[in-house]
Amino acid sequence: MTVATSSIQVLGIDAGGTMTDTFFVRDDGRFVVGKAQSNPGDESLAIYNSSVDALAHWDRNVDDVYPELVTCVYSGTAMLNRVLMRKGLDVGLICNKGFEQVHTMGRALQSYLGYALEDRIHLNTHRYDEPLVPVSRTRGVTERTDVQGRVVIPLREDEVRAATKELVEAGSKAIVICLLQSHKNEKSEQRARDIVKEELKKLGVDIPVFASVDYYPSRKESHRMNTTILEAYGAEPSRQTLKKVSDRFKKHGAKFDLRVMATHGGTISWKAKELARTIVSGPIGGVIGSKLLGEALGDENIACSDIGGTSFDVALITKGSFAIKSDPDMARLVLSLPLVAMDSVGAGAGSFVRLDPYSKSLKLGPDSAGYRVGTCWPESGLDTVSVSDCHVVLGYLNPNNFLGGAIKLDVQRARDHIKVQIADPLGLSVEDAAAGVIELLDLTLSEYLRANISAKGYNPAEFTCFSYGGAGPVHTYGYTEGVGFKDVVVPAWAAGFSAFGCACADFEYRYDKSVDLGLPQTASDADKAKACCTLQEAWSELAAKVIDEFVINGFKAEDVMLIPGYKMQYMGQLNDLEIVSPVSSAGTADDWNRIVDAFENTYGRVYASSARSPELGFSITGAIMRGTVATQKPVLPEDPDAGPTPPPEARLGTRPFYRHKKWVDAVIWKMESLKAGNRIVGPAIIESDATTFVVPDGFETTIDKHRLFHLKEVK
Amino acid sequence: MSYTNEQVAHLVEGTLDWETTFRMLSMPKDNSRFAQYVEALQKKVSFKDRIVLPLGPHMYIVQSAKTKQWLIKCDCGHEFCDYRQNWKLHAAIYVRDTEEAMAEVYPKLMAPDTQWQVYREYYCPTCGVMHDVEAPTPWYPVIHDFEPDIEAFYKDWVGLPVPERAA
Repeated sequence: MTVATSSIQVLGIDAGGTMTDTFFVRDDGRFVVGKAQSNPGDESLAIYNSSVDALAHWDRNVDDVYPELVTCVYSGTAMLNRVLMRKGLDVGLICNKGFEQVHTMGRALQSYLGYALEDRIHLNTHRYDEPLVPVSRTRGVTERTDVQGRVVIPLREDEVRAATKELVEAGSKAIVICLLQSHKNEKSEQRARDIVKEELKKLGVDIPVFASVDYYPSRKESHRMNTTILEAYGAEPSRQTLKKVSDRFKKHGAKFDLRVMATHGGTISWKAKELARTIVSGPIGGVIGSKLLGEALGDENIACSDIGGTSFDVALITKGSFAIKSDPDMARLVLSLPLVAMDSVGAGAGSFVRLDPYSKSLKLGPDSAGYRVGTCWPESGLDTVSVSDCHVVLGYLNPNNFLGGAIKLDVQRARDHIKVQIADPLGLSVEDAAAGVIELLDLTLSEYLRANISAKGYNPAEFTCFSYGGAGPVHTYGYTEGVGFKDVVVPAWAAGFSAFGCACADFEYRYDKSVDLGLPQTASDADKAKACCTLQEAWSELAAKVIDEFVINGFKAEDVMLIPGYKMQYMGQLNDLEIVSPVSSAGTADDWNRIVDAFENTYGRVYASSARSPELGFSITGAIMRGTVATQKPVLPEDPDAGPTPPPEARLGTRPFYRHKKWVDAVIWKMESLKAGNRIVGPAIIESDATTFVVPDGFETTIDKHRLFHLKEVK
Repeated sequence: MSYTNEQVAHLVEGTLDWETTFRMLSMPKDNSRFAQYVEALQKKVSFKDRIVLPLGPHMYIVQSAKTKQWLIKCDCGHEFCDYRQNWKLHAAIYVRDTEEAMAEVYPKLMAPDTQWQVYREYYCPTCGVMHDVEAPTPWYPVIHDFEPDIEAFYKDWVGLPVPERAA
């Protein structure tokens, strides 16, 4: 049998807050998904358990599979939780005198980051989190560099020495230095860094020193300061977590080097110098996976939609590339890290449902049942209705096969709670009340999805929608109905899609640096050449950092493929565009012209050609350097076409299913038994252990050779 | 959408966890909150009089256990006056109307000019707790903050029977 001969090469890990998913891919494209309860105390154990669960499907065990693997990518919430729970290192901070409170104030907006709109405009709810570095471990030193990068007040070195001593006495385990405008002129900050190091040596103290210019030389002081602090605060402890994971792999014979998903959409080594960028990784995996699938299917415009228990995340891939946000917020901190742009709304499959006692309107979330599912799970201890309860009551979910039968759901209990909390106050039947909740959620999500596409100036008809996440396929029909997508795709491995996406990601480092270059349309060749030289200087600096990172992992400089890029805008406009550079190095007026042309083409594509405004002149606001090395990626399964009729053994029976005010019998299919080419007409429900795919009446789906379901409306 | 009496007691004490506090703030107010809140306050005070409406952190309109009259009363049991009167006129008053007096509460040069603005602090004559501070122009009469329409509040807003009141 082929099972025995195929080797397993790729492993993707998504260590989420509640479940740890593993995704193993064989070299023939076959895959298995494993699930295990997450273990915040020792993530490596959860990964091991999840692997055992996955490999059991193939009758393989961890000790003979781990040595076969060539690629393993981890994404998880370890770093994020550390920051949210404020369990990082005691960091000391040196900043400009008079700016000691800047970190605590968090630009004021950190007091409402992550809130829903109604809470953002409700001042009472605003709250400042405990800062990563308290004011008691912050020291200001006299120095000032102005916005043009001129040193106006030189650094008072004795103040730096005194500050170092005080910070050490205050118990600092790392020292961060962030001075104003250091991205523009790094001299003062570097000098401060060297003095701190000298002083520490004199004191006989061995603690790390982080200067913002060495890590994140980008404009926006709060962002730069936060990011550098984050690096000192969370990265080292997280590295210990990753080391533990790596060690457990090694113990079971693994030979690969563990990589971690990073915010910019590439993966980096757990040994990387900059680990702060691994703070958010799970949801990014889905976007990377969508990009790879899109390439296989020939779709270059994709709306990625991921619906989990608590939120709905949307990202757009246009012309084959995703957008990068350069100053995003994460964990209620403003940061200067490149992040795959994503929009989220706090409504998901586990959201609580409540009735406003005054207006009698339904309200979803913002909190959710999470792993406790809903009141339908008697052991949950919950008594507030969740969206899942409505699904169970209406026959969407199989109460006996939730998470592969791991927990049994009590339909009557959910019915009783819906009746008391929602149906009776509204004077509706339980079914209609539950259906109303589902409709509201579907409407909320589809409006959000539609708005996200059209607000950016695109037409949904040019997009394929990918739907994944544990709860995605239950809702796919609901939030795509009527939006008018070109195609709607549900991968059979929707529940493990983020883990799959991680495994698809390049081994890629990316470094950014702010630059300020501005030239009029009619600039002289000499000025253009000069601007190119400045850009090249930044690129060279970043390239050295990229190569350094790869060298840590044993690669040679010549193995690294460098991809320079830049951020450009028409002078005076507010939003820049990120462009992959058409020239591999810049130095001449001709190079400048090509750089400008590439920008103008992209601008015309993203907005409209007629919106181009070269008469304003051009500014480059940032230099970007990415470097990659070749890695093994998952291949997609290729199945022979078995015709439109599903095999009889795939049919499991029927289940009553309520929609549009009537009960119908939906046919239940076993997802694993369906073959490529099979066509299924709703009402039907396609089940597997981790995913339920709902195809109501008025819809049909076909499964293609890559095990992707295509959902379409039939009228 | 309801909370336990224990949670409401924590709310009164300011010791309720942030997650619950946030949910209370962002959700529509639960129906039973006023009754629970008053009950929590009642447990904190030593007097027998029933609290009709809280007026401040240490001040209530109460129904006198003896006479059923509605009175304004301090935590400590000190009775100010009838609930329709301005209790400030029955309080101990300290007026900060000199630079020196202002310097006690503000750094130099960061206090208002007392020719334009003074602080009037109102204390309980029995226990000395500060009940209120006003910041008016020096000549301005003592401000009567508000006279609540308690009947309407009980009947139309929180849907509870109005407590008995002797004239």
